[in-house]
Amino acid sequence: MTSINVRIAGANGDGLESSGALLTKVAARNGLHVFAHRGYQSIIRGGHVWYQIRLSEQKPWSYGDGIDILVALNQDAVDYQKSRLKDNAIVIYDAGKADVDALDPKKYRLVPIPLLDIAMKTSGDAIMRNVVAIGAVMGFMGMDIRELNAVVDSTFSKKGQQVVDSNIKAAAAGYNYEGVKKAYDLKGDGKGRYVLDGNTALAMGAYAGGCKFYAAYPMTPATSIMHWFAAHEAKGALFKQAEDEISAIMMTIGAAHAGARAMCGTSGGGFSLMVEALGFAGMMEAPIVVVDSQRTGPSTGLPSKTEQADLLFAMFASQGEFPRIVMSPRTMEECFKAGADALNLAERYQCPVIILMDQYISEHIESVEDFDLGSVKIDRGKIATAGAGGGRFKRYELAADGISPRSMPGMPGLEFVATSYEHDEYGDLVSDVRSGIDEHVEMRRKMNDKRMRKIDTMLKSETIFVPNVVDDGAGYHLVTFGSTTESATEAMEILKQQGISVGLISFNYLLPLDKEKTKRILSGKKLIDVECNFTAQLAQVIMLNTGIEIKNRILKYDGEAITGEELAQKVKDAIANFK
Amino acid sequence: MVTNEQQPNAQAKQSYASGIKPVWCPGCGDHSVSMALNKALMELGIEKSKVLIVAGIGCSSAMPHQFSTYGVDSLHGRLLPMAVGAKLANGDLTVIGTGGDGDGYGIGGGHLIHMARRNIDITYVVMNNEIYGLTTGQASPTSMMGAKTKSTPFGDIEYPLNPLTLAISAGATYVARGFAGDPMHLAELIKNGISHKGFSIIDVLSPCVSFNTLNTYDWFRQRVYKLDQSHDPTNREGALAKALECEESDYKKMPIGLFYRNEKPTYSEMDMVIKKGALIAQPMPSGEEIRDVIDEYK
Repeated sequence: MTSINVRIAGANGDGLESSGALLTKVAARNGLHVFAHRGYQSIIRGGHVWYQIRLSEQKPWSYGDGIDILVALNQDAVDYQKSRLKDNAIVIYDAGKADVDALDPKKYRLVPIPLLDIAMKTSGDAIMRNVVAIGAVMGFMGMDIRELNAVVDSTFSKKGQQVVDSNIKAAAAGYNYEGVKKAYDLKGDGKGRYVLDGNTALAMGAYAGGCKFYAAYPMTPATSIMHWFAAHEAKGALFKQAEDEISAIMMTIGAAHAGARAMCGTSGGGFSLMVEALGFAGMMEAPIVVVDSQRTGPSTGLPSKTEQADLLFAMFASQGEFPRIVMSPRTMEECFKAGADALNLAERYQCPVIILMDQYISEHIESVEDFDLGSVKIDRGKIATAGAGGGRFKRYELAADGISPRSMPGMPGLEFVATSYEHDEYGDLVSDVRSGIDEHVEMRRKMNDKRMRKIDTMLKSETIFVPNVVDDGAGYHLVTFGSTTESATEAMEILKQQGISVGLISFNYLLPLDKEKTKRILSGKKLIDVECNFTAQLAQVIMLNTGIEIKNRILKYDGEAITGEELAQKVKDAIANFK
Repeated sequence: MVTNEQQPNAQAKQSYASGIKPVWCPGCGDHSVSMALNKALMELGIEKSKVLIVAGIGCSSAMPHQFSTYGVDSLHGRLLPMAVGAKLANGDLTVIGTGGDGDGYGIGGGHLIHMARRNIDITYVVMNNEIYGLTTGQASPTSMMGAKTKSTPFGDIEYPLNPLTLAISAGATYVARGFAGDPMHLAELIKNGISHKGFSIIDVLSPCVSFNTLNTYDWFRQRVYKLDQSHDPTNREGALAKALECEESDYKKMPIGLFYRNEKPTYSEMDMVIKKGALIAQPMPSGEEIRDVIDEYK
């Protein structure tokens, strides 16, 4: 793969993200592929942050191992990042702010640029030193500076011509700085691409799928979904900030019950608060979508770091039993699709749908060719026709497929009471004075059966509840789900180049699973489980559904996502010690 | 033959009761609240299908089942956010919350202050019996100092919460108190609460005849009096003073009636999406609109 990894490192408040975003946009507009990720801390100013952008001629599946160009805005940036530098890496540093005595000038190309001075001279604003650095990076990449000007114009024109001009001036100063010249030559394919993160793709997908109501309480790393909806309210989807996550999910249930497509989002801590209401949605059969963007846990954990350790929690959260769907999108395209698909599934099966994201897929940035708008079809499920109920509506009719036509408040003649208690077909309670009386004991069983029948109906009607296989005939197969799938794809490609035959089995949907088909896919293969958690939760799910035990496991739970090269090495170790 | 459409009075007098036998104990204040709510709805004549009654959990959660309108009995303490979601999705609905003191001032207390400051057009009726009834008699947030209950056998040593001062200070725009012993007066308070544009709360002194031996009908009757014309409900300071009278008089005088009313723009009147119409009536985005938002990321 022909790719260059650019890492900008500095402190919180240095504005790395917005200058990094400029570079990703320029590259993506020019037909390069982009994969970017940031390391940040749960603080607002200071500390150490980095933003790595991988620019590539082919589709990359991770932000890349090692650094080809480092922009060091302070001393920490040199100290913390030097171990990642590839041989012959270019190190751009601010001569007054960082010293590079620790770096061997024969091994690296050290480029001192007075970033701060230039920023102050061109714009009078210290934060512009990023942009000076981006200009220099573009110079080393041999990119056309006019492309940056166009991106700056479209990004900052709302803030006024002065902001646009000072960005352009700062970038040009870096680009034209003495000694900056083309060192790499990546060739774009001329296709303009989108650049965005998973949360943005998910939010847009939900919007495209008719989401009219999003409720949330701020919590990293789900917060940018809220920001998307808040910024786009004029497009016709209401965002409601709630006082806590209990309120967020209850508002979502209320809106969904009244007939608006509704979603809420949070991270594990907020999801914990939502659990009682999740069961309520199961009992009253409310079509809601809940996003859990996982971070390193338990408890407050590492707020700005990733993990895939909420899988079993999402599958089993709540007392009692009820049908639910758990999905974990694997790519940007699937994040977009998840938004619309989850809303359809929720309304089709009148049950909660949980979308498991994580900090890595929520916040890393990729270039995307396009989104398949044709795949967005809105299916609102079974809705009763007005008047049919004659005022005493059997909302919870014991339907053969488990799905009773629903009515919404406002529809005349179809009034009923939805309840968190067990109930009969009308929504009348079988608790209280009816509880324990034979016919109502019978009704409890029948109503529970009715709800649970929806699982059979899902499995019969949908083809999505099986994993995907890449390279069925390979010698070994990695088994993974959600965000780790991309890194596994990269590891597979790396290993293939080294003559090691490894395939991939990845799960987008985790609950329910078509047990027979899943078992058939997994059977007879040498399996290596790859997940970002301690207890191999996917392997447990597979065991539960198929009886297949995956003994070879690569588990990572240090808060960082697994990268392609790192995984390829671990896979080689696993093969060498295969049990 | 005369149809309902031609005879508005007949329509207006139609009962909203479901006919389901209530589960409340004989003599429970909640019977009166149910009657008063039915009377208020009958007088307002709102179309049945446009009424949504949302309850939490507790004795009060039986309320939606007493009505042939739409209803939800939701989770303990969570009726207000549920009601908010429904009202924001479909502003044509008349949304009424019915809860208890444990439900609304205890486990769900956090939601009340945010509800008040949001001023969403919902009417909230709290059956305040100063006890946890359905769990057979534990102290509630409004139980009086010294009250002997199953959870405070030696007397409660927490001061009771004052829902009226709380609601007024948090920004509720209609704050009233009724008494289950006077259902006609209560019906009027509920009716005006429903008509009020914004968040209305009606705290109802609703005796628990099984577990609260202190705050009985007789106990209330000796203390309750109706606010008269001399009280100006548009004066917030005066309203707060009246709301404090209970405590200040050491529960010798308990005013009922409308304490506070204020006309402020509601949340829905200010929200840019709802201003265009009910969420449920708004069209799904077109391919062009979707393309527009995606193109921001190029």
